[in-house]
Amino acid sequence: MSTNSAMEPGTSMEEQFEVSKGINPWIRWFKLLLRSKTGTTGFIIVLTVCITAIFAPQIAPYDPDAMNPANMNAPPVWLEGGTSAHILGTDSLGRDMLSRVIYGSQVSLLIGVFSVIVAGSIGLVLGILAGYYGRWIDNLLMRVVDAFLAVPNILLLLVILGIFGSNLITLILVLGVTNWVIYARLVRGEVLTLKERDFIRAARSIGTNDRTIMFKHILPNVFSSFIVISTLSVATTLIIEASLSFLGLGIQPPTISWGYMLSTGRDYLATSWWLATFPGLAITITVLGIIFLGDWLRDVLDPRSQGRRP
Amino acid sequence: MGRYLIRRVLQVIPVLLIISFIVFALVYMAGDPVSLMLPEEASQEEIDSLREALGLNDPLHVQYGVYIINALQGDFGKSYRYNQDALSIVLERLPQTLELAIVSMIFATIIAIPLGIWSASKQNSYIDLIATGASVLGKAMPNFWLGIMLILLLSVNLAIFPVSGRGTLMHIVLPAITLGTAIAAEMTRLIRSNMIEIMQQDYVRTAKSKGQKDSIVTYRHAFKNCLIPVVTIMALQTSGLIGGALVTEVVFAWPGMGQLLVQAVNARDMAIVQACVFVIAVAVILMNLLADIIYRMIDPRIKYE
Amino acid sequence: MMKRRFWLMLLVLFMGTMFLAACGGDSEETASPNDHETDSDVEGEEDTDGATDDNTEVNSLVIGVGADMASFDIHNHNATNTEAIHINIFSYLVVRDGDGGFDGYLAESFENVDETTWRFVLREGVQFHNGEELTAEDVKFTLDRVRTDETLIEHNNFNQIAEVNILGDYEFEIITEGPEPILLNRLSKIGAGILPKNYIEEEGWDHFLSNPIGTGPFKFNEWRRDDRVVLERFDNYFGGDVTEWEEVVFRVIPESSTRVNELLTGGIQIAENVPPAEWDRVNNNEGTSIVSGPTTRVMLLTLKQEEQYATSDIRVRQAIDYAINNQAITEHVLAGKGTPIQSRVTPGSTGAHPDLYDVYNFDQEKARALLEEAGYGDGLEITFNSPQGRYMMDTEVAELIRGMLSEVGITANLEFMEWSNFVDMHSNGTNEEMYLVGLGNSMFDAALGMTSFHSRAAHRSGYANPELDALLDAAETNMDPEERHELYLEAQEIVVRDMPFVFLYQVENISGITDGIDYEPSVDELIYIPNINRN
Repeated sequence: MSTNSAMEPGTSMEEQFEVSKGINPWIRWFKLLLRSKTGTTGFIIVLTVCITAIFAPQIAPYDPDAMNPANMNAPPVWLEGGTSAHILGTDSLGRDMLSRVIYGSQVSLLIGVFSVIVAGSIGLVLGILAGYYGRWIDNLLMRVVDAFLAVPNILLLLVILGIFGSNLITLILVLGVTNWVIYARLVRGEVLTLKERDFIRAARSIGTNDRTIMFKHILPNVFSSFIVISTLSVATTLIIEASLSFLGLGIQPPTISWGYMLSTGRDYLATSWWLATFPGLAITITVLGIIFLGDWLRDVLDPRSQGRRP
Repeated sequence: MGRYLIRRVLQVIPVLLIISFIVFALVYMAGDPVSLMLPEEASQEEIDSLREALGLNDPLHVQYGVYIINALQGDFGKSYRYNQDALSIVLERLPQTLELAIVSMIFATIIAIPLGIWSASKQNSYIDLIATGASVLGKAMPNFWLGIMLILLLSVNLAIFPVSGRGTLMHIVLPAITLGTAIAAEMTRLIRSNMIEIMQQDYVRTAKSKGQKDSIVTYRHAFKNCLIPVVTIMALQTSGLIGGALVTEVVFAWPGMGQLLVQAVNARDMAIVQACVFVIAVAVILMNLLADIIYRMIDPRIKYE
Repeated sequence: MMKRRFWLMLLVLFMGTMFLAACGGDSEETASPNDHETDSDVEGEEDTDGATDDNTEVNSLVIGVGADMASFDIHNHNATNTEAIHINIFSYLVVRDGDGGFDGYLAESFENVDETTWRFVLREGVQFHNGEELTAEDVKFTLDRVRTDETLIEHNNFNQIAEVNILGDYEFEIITEGPEPILLNRLSKIGAGILPKNYIEEEGWDHFLSNPIGTGPFKFNEWRRDDRVVLERFDNYFGGDVTEWEEVVFRVIPESSTRVNELLTGGIQIAENVPPAEWDRVNNNEGTSIVSGPTTRVMLLTLKQEEQYATSDIRVRQAIDYAINNQAITEHVLAGKGTPIQSRVTPGSTGAHPDLYDVYNFDQEKARALLEEAGYGDGLEITFNSPQGRYMMDTEVAELIRGMLSEVGITANLEFMEWSNFVDMHSNGTNEEMYLVGLGNSMFDAALGMTSFHSRAAHRSGYANPELDALLDAAETNMDPEERHELYLEAQEIVVRDMPFVFLYQVENISGITDGIDYEPSVDELIYIPNINRN
């Protein structure tokens, strides 16, 4: 079974080659991106979310924490009773929904990105070690990987967070610790094939030490598949974070995350739907963007998928 | 095949040992459940006397020894909440979760196979775009959210399905859709990409160049070879399926293992937690083993070195 | 060929599932084919009042609860929601009369002979569900079990009993270790049901746990964990014909929106614990409405008074009290379902202080002034812990309190805790300045309500006042009801003055009901079916 998805509609290999003749790599990438409709969409979405997160204090009209018990569950501006003061309405404690959604992007992205970094680092290091040295290290690691794969992620998260309690740092660490196996497996596989390639053999034969081989020669070659998986993992993490909030083990207030807003808003779905719908939309759109971007990256980066195409 | 199977089964042993180690570490760090067994207004004397009476003051190595010996015999201790053997409680719940998981998987397969093939054969058409979009959406929706929306729409507003619980066939429809959607999305994507890959391979091209009809090529040649990844995908989704069941069962008050586990964690009923993790792990391992065997049945050309 | 094999496999899978589902369906007794809405209301053919609602058979009552019951070991749980079901199967010797006194129940009469001796006479002709008659032997067996077995959770509520002496078939006396003014309160709370001695000795405890019998108006039928508990009417109940329901189903539905949706679609007739967000939906829906009633639970802030904490200064504690607008919490977050209170002893319990109910302090200026005086004019930072999802709207209440405190210059670092970790902190007193908790009073007596202020319980608050200790000690062994009452009133006034805790409000129990059901949530949070009628 291959992990390659299909080509992006409208992007054939010939066009890609043409583009890759450009001199400035940034422009080359950008032109490549523009060839793909979904890739561009994904890129714009992700960029927007990142900008929102970084400039949240400048963009948000209110302090996301400012409560007003007298103005609870106010509807969005386009509904009867809504005011332009609160464009997306207010939540169950009278806080401005728009500001909360804007600020929520910070934590959601933080969790997504950092948990992937944690998981990726563990997986990368262990995967390279196992793939490169083989033998018992490889055997042991693969059994540990099997063990982790046999226990559903969310189950492990539930147990660990249930025991230790949940805050931003633990959440990131635990998500990282439970997610590393996919990276380890991927990297190990790549390393196993790379090891047999001529340039690594050559390096070995001239007595280059292991660490240099691993970091100078293998790492850059593993990187492209690595980045593809990471991108998609950020999307999965956003969904898992919301599910954990549903089980009461996600981000705790006063920290604001989309998952938390979505899960607490569910009690209001039939009465004040905007409490859950806007953070829900934010999650869905962001995940959509990330998947589009990830798919495009896969098509562009994955050397195997290029090689196989006519 | 025989030797391969034996090797695969032997590999399971270290895996289970590693899982048992992880579980013990978690249970040890969880501390004792005494304070949870007493009400908020309990006094310190009450807490101390109950802790002593339950033998929770034993030294660590004693607890560890007891744990390993018992775990090897399938004895995960007594659930303090139910005052009953933990493994038997978990096994009592297993069929309910399996039932939900299997129906969800069937739902996912029924949706994903035609959708995946269709969008692959009509690549870049609107159908393809819609199918791709739908599968991405299916992945981008937390399943508790989908479940609540389905209840509001199909149960409360349209009164087609019962809201929750387990009983008649109608009861399983909404939870199965909820749980199956993400799986269907994943499967659709994978089937589509596999189909595209296969359709570009030489023998399919040969068939096409011989002038065979598109539909025949698609179904007879490409689809057959697509089955192998489908089976593997189904097996690989087991873990995700059981994970998703945790949340789905809570939304639909489905009395399966997921709910049992969520409550056991909240109550720190660690005997149940251990037994649950083990049973689920064994189920996932078995499914993957089974997939390997089916894999071979479907395609005898696969060699096992 | 391959394709055929694949479809064959699918078919086998599918049929297997159908089979599983069918098994599930079969165990549903006799589900009527055209009634998929509610599989639970399947029994009973009579249809007396003209079938106002096709989905509900007349003699079956379905109640949606948020959590499953714990066990049928009546001595080894301390969960109100479990007792809420048990109360229909097992009976107490005496019951509260609602005015601080007691009525006989299984006991026909009872009398306090001297400080440590109580004499009881049982009703004659009380039958267990297996037909055996209740005697004093059963009472002794039951009380001996809980008072001697230290591993039982309820042990500490009954070990004040020194012995139970049988005086005749229907007569016995209870000797207490010391003067025990609240013995009757203990005999009318969780763990006080009377068990069948012969049945348990003959069949064994494990058999009893899966096939429990008692003397109550309902007998056990089925318990499917995390799904439902089914009870059937016991026709030889000693109290006579007390209920019209032939069958009661307690359905476990943890997700509150699902519970409400079941209520709206007629799947259940009563939904327990409906959050405020859903009240409008239930009330605006035709055929359902919200009902509520007070409980003994009081939400409060525990404040740490050890020297290193700012909250050891009474002015800071007062400032916190003045900063919080209790009325705003009950009005806005709880939509009026809750009453400000300044004590842990709620009206209806013995020793309740009438002047401390429905009052609160709110004065932001005064709060700022008190902080200034205490040396925190430039601001004060404290830790604030709260559970999440344990009490109705606890998250919102905690967040609102944080907001109110910040308005007077107190930065409360709010930290929500998962319940098991929270209870750990609460039990071991590892808390810092402040935490939110709700404390109930299952004995309906100030004795239990006031224990948190005795220096014995100082590990949570660090509060100790010898004067208060003396009062509480005196009250605990005082057999004169009048004097006890006075002692507890005085003790509560001291607590209000010293302010070791900041009291917030009395919690209400809120349920959704289907029209035609006459149900009022009871103050003890139990669901006694004979009190639920069709109107």
